[in-house]
Amino acid sequence: MVKKVQLLVLVFLLGVMVSSAQQRAIKGKVTDAGSGKPLAGATIAVKGKSQAVTTNVNGDFEINVNASEFLEVSNVGYRGDLVAVGKSSTLFDIQLVADVTDLSEIVVTGALGVKRAAREIGASAQLVDNRNLNQGKTVNPIFGLSSKVSGLRINMYDSKVDPQVNITLRGSRSLSRTAGIDGRNPNAPIYVVDGVPVPDIARLNPNDIESITVLKGANAAALYGSEGVNGALMISTKSGKKGKGVVTFGHTTTFSNVFLLPPAQTKYGQGNNGVYDAVQYESWGPEFDGSTRDFGLPLPDGTQPTVLYAVPSKDNRLDLFNTGLTIQNDLSFSGGDDRSTYFMSVQHVDIRGIIPDDVNKRTNLRFNGSRKFGKLNASYNVNYSINDKNTTPDGPWIGAYRYPANFNFDMVKDWENTLSPGNPLNYFTSQGSWLRNPYFLIDNIRDESKQQTLNGKIELDYSFAPWFKALYRAGMYSLTDESRSSTRKFEAPGTRNTVGSVSDGSNAYRRFNSDLILNFEKQFDKISTRLLVGQNVRTDYRKTSSIGAANLLYQDLLNPGSRQGELNGSVAITEQRSSAVYGEFVAGYDNFLFLTLTGRNDWTSVLSQENRSYFYPGVSVSFVASDAITSLKDSRRISYLKWFGSWNKTGNVTLAPYQLQNAYTQSLGFPFGNLVGFLPGLVNPNPNIEPEFVTSVETGFQLGLFNNRLNIEGTYVYSDSKGQIFNATASAATGYNSARVNAGRLTNSIIEAGINGDLIRTRDIRWNLGFNFTYIDNQVKELYGGLDNINNFRQSYAVIGQQFPTLLVSDYKRDPNGNVVVDASTGDPVVATENTTLGSLVPPYQMGINTQFSFKGLTVGAQFDWRMGGWLYSEIVPAMYAAGTDPRTAAFDRQPFVWPGSVIETGPGQYQANTMLTSSGGRAFWSRQGEVQINTAAPSDFLKLRELNISYALPQSILGGQRIVRDLSIGLVGTNLFIIRHKDNKYGDPEYLYNNTDGYLSFRQVPPYRSFGFNLTASF
Amino acid sequence: MMKRILFSAIISMLLISCNKFLDVNENPNAPTSETLPLRAKLPAVLVSTVNQEQGQLNQIGSLWGGYWGTTNEGISMFVDLKTFNGPAIRHQRDGIPVWENGFNTLLYYQLMKEEAESEGALFYAGIAKIMQGWHFFRLVDIYNNVPFDDALRGTQFPTPRYEEGRVVYQKAMDLVTAGISDIKNSTPGTEPTTDDILFAGNRNAWYRFANTVKLRALIRQSEVADQSYVNAEIAKIQAEGTGFIGAGQTAQVQPGYLNTSGKLNPFWESYYRNVQGVVTGNYQDIRPTSFIIDQYKLLADPRIDRMYVSVAGDYRGVLFGNPDVAPEYSRVNTSAFKGPSENGGQAAGIFKSATQASILLSSFESLFLQAEATERGWISGNAKALFESGIEESFSYLGVPGGSATYAAQPLVSLDNAADPITRIIEQKWLALNSISGIEAWNDFRRLGVPAIPNSLEAPTAASRPLRFMYPETERMTNNENASLQGSDDVISAKVWWDL
Repeated sequence: MVKKVQLLVLVFLLGVMVSSAQQRAIKGKVTDAGSGKPLAGATIAVKGKSQAVTTNVNGDFEINVNASEFLEVSNVGYRGDLVAVGKSSTLFDIQLVADVTDLSEIVVTGALGVKRAAREIGASAQLVDNRNLNQGKTVNPIFGLSSKVSGLRINMYDSKVDPQVNITLRGSRSLSRTAGIDGRNPNAPIYVVDGVPVPDIARLNPNDIESITVLKGANAAALYGSEGVNGALMISTKSGKKGKGVVTFGHTTTFSNVFLLPPAQTKYGQGNNGVYDAVQYESWGPEFDGSTRDFGLPLPDGTQPTVLYAVPSKDNRLDLFNTGLTIQNDLSFSGGDDRSTYFMSVQHVDIRGIIPDDVNKRTNLRFNGSRKFGKLNASYNVNYSINDKNTTPDGPWIGAYRYPANFNFDMVKDWENTLSPGNPLNYFTSQGSWLRNPYFLIDNIRDESKQQTLNGKIELDYSFAPWFKALYRAGMYSLTDESRSSTRKFEAPGTRNTVGSVSDGSNAYRRFNSDLILNFEKQFDKISTRLLVGQNVRTDYRKTSSIGAANLLYQDLLNPGSRQGELNGSVAITEQRSSAVYGEFVAGYDNFLFLTLTGRNDWTSVLSQENRSYFYPGVSVSFVASDAITSLKDSRRISYLKWFGSWNKTGNVTLAPYQLQNAYTQSLGFPFGNLVGFLPGLVNPNPNIEPEFVTSVETGFQLGLFNNRLNIEGTYVYSDSKGQIFNATASAATGYNSARVNAGRLTNSIIEAGINGDLIRTRDIRWNLGFNFTYIDNQVKELYGGLDNINNFRQSYAVIGQQFPTLLVSDYKRDPNGNVVVDASTGDPVVATENTTLGSLVPPYQMGINTQFSFKGLTVGAQFDWRMGGWLYSEIVPAMYAAGTDPRTAAFDRQPFVWPGSVIETGPGQYQANTMLTSSGGRAFWSRQGEVQINTAAPSDFLKLRELNISYALPQSILGGQRIVRDLSIGLVGTNLFIIRHKDNKYGDPEYLYNNTDGYLSFRQVPPYRSFGFNLTASF
Repeated sequence: MMKRILFSAIISMLLISCNKFLDVNENPNAPTSETLPLRAKLPAVLVSTVNQEQGQLNQIGSLWGGYWGTTNEGISMFVDLKTFNGPAIRHQRDGIPVWENGFNTLLYYQLMKEEAESEGALFYAGIAKIMQGWHFFRLVDIYNNVPFDDALRGTQFPTPRYEEGRVVYQKAMDLVTAGISDIKNSTPGTEPTTDDILFAGNRNAWYRFANTVKLRALIRQSEVADQSYVNAEIAKIQAEGTGFIGAGQTAQVQPGYLNTSGKLNPFWESYYRNVQGVVTGNYQDIRPTSFIIDQYKLLADPRIDRMYVSVAGDYRGVLFGNPDVAPEYSRVNTSAFKGPSENGGQAAGIFKSATQASILLSSFESLFLQAEATERGWISGNAKALFESGIEESFSYLGVPGGSATYAAQPLVSLDNAADPITRIIEQKWLALNSISGIEAWNDFRRLGVPAIPNSLEAPTAASRPLRFMYPETERMTNNENASLQGSDDVISAKVWWDL
């Protein structure tokens, strides 16, 4: 209430400045921003008044207004616009952008950044606009796409203050883990920003993005090259519009809290074999009894620290984590006149992590502009970002999983004090490494990185004739990273010692991309034709260097110059080049039937001369039945019906430079003076690698019903990837750890469906509900060398006849009924020699549910994500078994017990119920069980509320009467607010991955967190 | 006009694309095999061998062979070995990758061998074969059946078939024999020089080493031996004629260790002092077992003082695998290793300096092997003299002043007084190899049960002993079909072929 009064006062003061204006008649025209066609029946209302008019068939309107007033322009199927009247007497040219719900008018950013009506495209394309993308106010725009697009799966890994992205579009097509000089995920789509392919978009300001069109088919590859084999994310950044300048300011603050830690037992504390031990970190001691006990060794002054040996009242592990804080501020200016437009923005993001002292700061600057010079249209975009990160590497929280339940984190905070139990010389456990004091690790082991990204493009577009246009586009992406990893020296005996080290690195990466495109268009009566031919050159260059010292002299002088011993360092230069010619021919009949043919030939530097040229073709058809068939045309129910289909065969090369030969390097301390010693790499090279090919077919429909109030779409895709280039993990007995091969075949059968509709659509209330659903049946058909499975990463495998990747784990020996077989002499469960296949590490079923409810100025948006049918493996838990912190290790009062439901094998295939006790119920026994991997695997099913956004746009009754603030809205935003997991999954959030590996959770990851906060947006 | 310019621009760009523009795939950062001579490869491969020997294998053997236990404070160290936790030992990340390291090093020798054979550099080919034999013996000792014929062939045999341990032993034996003849056939003047950081290109040293490796492999089969096979192999050794490693001929690798980060003697750096000169965690918590301390005391063995520091005037050990803490097993109440810092700055028993050479095969081990072979009647000679020379070499390596004559004359030491001479030889061999070649101590214990090492207190049952490693998880992941054909690989029940 107080706030509202303050606002009213503000508005009143602003109102005073408003000159009493004169009414006059103004004229204008409302057109479609995509096609330029006039829009009839659009409503033009004076903001805050009841006065309104509608446009005629030519889109023209006339209305009487004051210069200080605003016009609210709206039309069904379009997003509303707000236009300041001002004093200008020129004709108002108002362009409305189609709302995504109106299928027939959607304009997507097609290949090469060419805007195309979606109706022409013979493959799935889905558009996510700025508002939808920014619903959860994510810092990295990719996370803003999570669960909003069918077929697109996004996970997070290395989830500290600058999480990395694991993104897959339409399933796995490659068995490789990384590809190319930029080390991209070979199952990720290509990122194309304003027509230029870039290696990464994590550093883009999401507010700068006008829309992201997700081109799901491999068609994108024809025009963008092999990396488009998994589809493309076409990112269009904002541009200025003709008219009065607009200034927009946005602010978001969110807080994050750790959740979903794996549970720990709270019955037993530190010790061995049931006996308390003040210097043992493992929980194999006696039961908590509420007594006060010695903790660690006496301090140098003779005092003995003590700890309350009692069941803690809360989860003490949470004390280690901070509340994370993310503050985003964003300011943009845009505008334009008849010949030029501009858009400028600045964003600052400040992230404080859930791990104390983890910080990430990012500043983005963008300048987009365009200008017409007669027939020449020039545009340019420049984006600069600097990201400054300072974190502690994997470590401090790792000990937390292994410490006793009553561990008092506060007690060890003051590690610098020589009389504190936290000082490394006094710390209760001397096991070192990850078990050092977490606060010591946080303060002394740091990774810093200062990353600057500069990318941009220049585009020249010349109309030679109405039927012939040429376009030249040069794009540049440059990234420099200055990094430092350092460990401060702390001299102490044994594992209490920490050797000081520092490594300074630099990484400079540049990509230049050039496209020359000729575009011919000709209309023959009802037949439209368009031919596009292009030529592409791309060069990538990277230089990384590092210099460091492994034995520093001083605690606070982190410079390789003050060291003992030798300097270490390395330099690597890598270069990759490619060139291509490509073409696309589109023929349309009467704007309802379209045929597109594509072809491309690539030459790449990473293959041998004989293999480096490869060609790939494609064809697609689109048929808009609702325009072609009279009965549909006149239907009052069906507003739009399109059928499409496509076939593509796409070549792909996932090699990085120099992988055709085996490089020798010096290790094991070499060179020792003049004595050199080189060893080969352990990947078996193959100089004859050829491109791999993916064939895909796709068919689908889009249906708009009841004046586009309900939209339904469905797609079926089949893709077949053959001759996979990958690093096949090999038996060490072959000598090598893996072999680079051209083998393996993966197929994907995919069903994608979407339903989106307005449940309520009135003047004041709109309630929209949408579902997107994906089912991916991925199958490994062939592997290399007659193998039926190949290891991907640890427990993750490619198995013939199964989804990729599949979880294989060690399991107990079982009788035909699944009962665990125990050893007749020890009573301990027997580990089976064969691994057990549990299932896919990628959930085959995926559904996103989004809903948006608006009532006048109030909007509530929610995004739910549901994934089913996958498995996960946690490597957090085996260590918790060994440390006696996993709840299962507290079972049976830690006494020998009869393994539940176990049997004894009395003869081959003969089993009888077991009554024998296990050899022990203590550490030796449980640490063996922790190694049996089935104990730490679980289904990864979940349903979560990914994003919730409640915003309130201040009504005109408050904003009216002043001309400074056009729009003001305030809101609340939250992510991961709730999650329902499979009952067996006590390990974490299935989405938080380790090392870019689906379904794999690790103690190295920071635990999952959820966020909530508020935001404010104002435009002037 | 404009069109023509554009068209010619496209054509010229196309031409560029087809030639020089794409020729940027030569690695500018690292050499390939072709640009490196054999002498640039040999040193690293030998270091790879000795690192595995002195690191991994010595540690396994020292714990399972009765030498080492840990203090109270180190109760959570080496848990997998203390509890015979087979699945944890084979774990691909946290396990002990004897298999992987062994085969990788075998590949280094394989590539060297292929290159040397194609260049006619027979000395190098010979070294590669002898060392490959060494590694195959080791792999069989740990895993029993392993691939041989199909091994090291890259993509030719992506899933190598396994062969019986006995067969691999024979084939490895033949490889060593072939290695000797390659060296014999090599042209004088083509010997390696400083790159041979084991023997500096000395032919006889290589023959002696190879013969000793063969003798060790034959002795290993003592309990299962096909005597005619043994005799035939002994005959080959004798026909070769150079004999075995003798006194003062310890095979040790010295690449030129430096007291600087990454270049220290790895044994020193792991078990004694780090590059800062700070004691390591292993040094703090690894202790002799009470059992070995008792043996030293029983024999009034002066080596105890070269090996360990005393505590309150006495030497005190720990119990291997003890899950309980007790004051007498704490760091301060037990005897740590002795190094220069505990020895007035002078070289001590096994810790002499940060740049000491790494032992691959000691003269004392060779002499005890010869003593045993003589005692078994396989070779002719004076078993007692060989035995005493072995003791003397051990005393000398550890720097015991005054020689070993008095010690060796004691009834409990002397071979003359032994009820079972072979047991006596192994007892002394076991004392001599303490913490130097731990793996041989475990091998001898599996073979003969000598000495009577107490079991780990955390063994699954009182009677269960560690007999082997399970096939590694990486092998189960990549070649499971063949691994599964080998039957049980259980640590406490499946024996290797020479273990009866």
